[in-house]
Amino acid sequence: MQSVVSLKNVNKIFGSAGRPTTVALKDINLEIGRREFISLIGPSGCGKSTLLRAIGDLIEVTSGELLVNDKPARQARLNREYGMVFQAPVLFEWRTVLKNVELPLEIMGVPKAERTQRGRAMLKLVELQNFERHYPWQLSGGMQQRVAIARALAFRPELLLMDEPFGALDEITRERMNAELLRIWQETQTTVVFVTHSIPEAVFLSTRVVVMSARPGRISDIIPIDLPYPRNIETREHPRFFELVTTVREALRKGEEMRET
Amino acid sequence: MDVAFSPARPARRVAPALAVILIILTLAIAWELIKLIFNLDKRTLPHLWEIAEAFAQPSRRNGPPLIGVLVEAALYTLRGALLGFFIGAALGFVLGTLFAHSPLLERSLVPYVVASQTVPILAIAPMVVIWLRGSWWSVPVIAAYLTFFPVTINTLRGMRSPDPRAVELMGSYAASTWQTLWKLRFPSALPAIFTALKIAATASVVGAIIAELPSGIQKGLGGAILNFNQYYITGPERLWAAIFMAALVGILLFVATSVVERIVLRNIVRGA
Repeated sequence: MQSVVSLKNVNKIFGSAGRPTTVALKDINLEIGRREFISLIGPSGCGKSTLLRAIGDLIEVTSGELLVNDKPARQARLNREYGMVFQAPVLFEWRTVLKNVELPLEIMGVPKAERTQRGRAMLKLVELQNFERHYPWQLSGGMQQRVAIARALAFRPELLLMDEPFGALDEITRERMNAELLRIWQETQTTVVFVTHSIPEAVFLSTRVVVMSARPGRISDIIPIDLPYPRNIETREHPRFFELVTTVREALRKGEEMRET
Repeated sequence: MDVAFSPARPARRVAPALAVILIILTLAIAWELIKLIFNLDKRTLPHLWEIAEAFAQPSRRNGPPLIGVLVEAALYTLRGALLGFFIGAALGFVLGTLFAHSPLLERSLVPYVVASQTVPILAIAPMVVIWLRGSWWSVPVIAAYLTFFPVTINTLRGMRSPDPRAVELMGSYAASTWQTLWKLRFPSALPAIFTALKIAATASVVGAIIAELPSGIQKGLGGAILNFNQYYITGPERLWAAIFMAALVGILLFVATSVVERIVLRNIVRGA
């Protein structure tokens, strides 16, 4: 299996000389294959967001090897090989929905006609084709986040990095967004790294769930999710779904106990 | 399913023109009441109708009515103020943008920018006039001196205002500094820049009038104010008329800036 993301003995230490330091990531080893959907789950402060940001080259790792598509993360970023979705939609309020989706294409110098065409296709993908002339503030939170996803996918990145994208949404909207994200993931054939606090969300979405524990932040377990596709509302009521939720929960607890002893 | 909110319509405003008239009327009544209560003579505070009358009467024997003289003077001053406003705004924008991108420049130069504004303009104006050999250009230069400051400070603040995640987002697209400036920082800074431009608009008129005094320029409002000052004892209402005209020019520039602001920012709804 060819790796999209490859982490070998990655460490990240925050703090400068002479001050108490925090080990945010310790000895992280992880290989993420093409078309995988990986969830990073763990308690607050376990470094899951740090790990995601390191993959996206928003922060530098202290030591170890971090490759994205066999290149250093920085090179992958400069090659525009990944899309990013944050917890907040971070839309530009002076741009219409369509113009927001076109933003990365504009920066990459894609000609206008192609930009518009691709922007519209992306809005169709997230089922917002009737809202292209709206401004962000005219949309609900869930819709704004869908615009952010459309924007992240607009330049067809091979890797999609999502930092708790549905964390601010209510449970019902969240479940619907989960189903949509799975559909989009299958249609676009992207690799996804997804940070979440929610166990059911991680189980529902992922091919593998990476369980992390805090202080120092490290991977305590990796749980493959063998739920069949297509996954839908019924999946959430499947006995295997509950089993896996329990497995992840126990892995999280074990990670916590390891820390205490 | 999701509900798209239709654009919220602001509560229907009571005709703004009516409000303006009411305020002017209230101020006028207050003016006359104060005059009445404290029994102020014409020299201390003339009647409003005396000032109104002065507009219609010739400013000197067989001359044109004062209003014609003042409008001409106002247009003359407006030209210098406007040019100074644009020069100051451009300078302020460039400085603010540079400071926003370079903490080193910010730390080393901002203190001098601040110091420049603590020096009384009345002390600087005569020097500028001498440096520019008494040319008309000292008017826009001094007007610019007063306008660049608020624009610099607010541009700096506005350019630093975007959500840090928005900056990261641009980074994730490998956007250049230039692209981040024009597609993110500049639009984010616009509300703050317009606030500064509105302050600068009125400051530029003050600057132009002050600059006319040591320049010996007679054609502007500064010249008119100086002139009527000398004849205050015999005709105080004429100085008052000139002051009203100066205020009007400032208001005009302010309103014009606000109109441009409304058009440019029409799509931005803050805090929605």
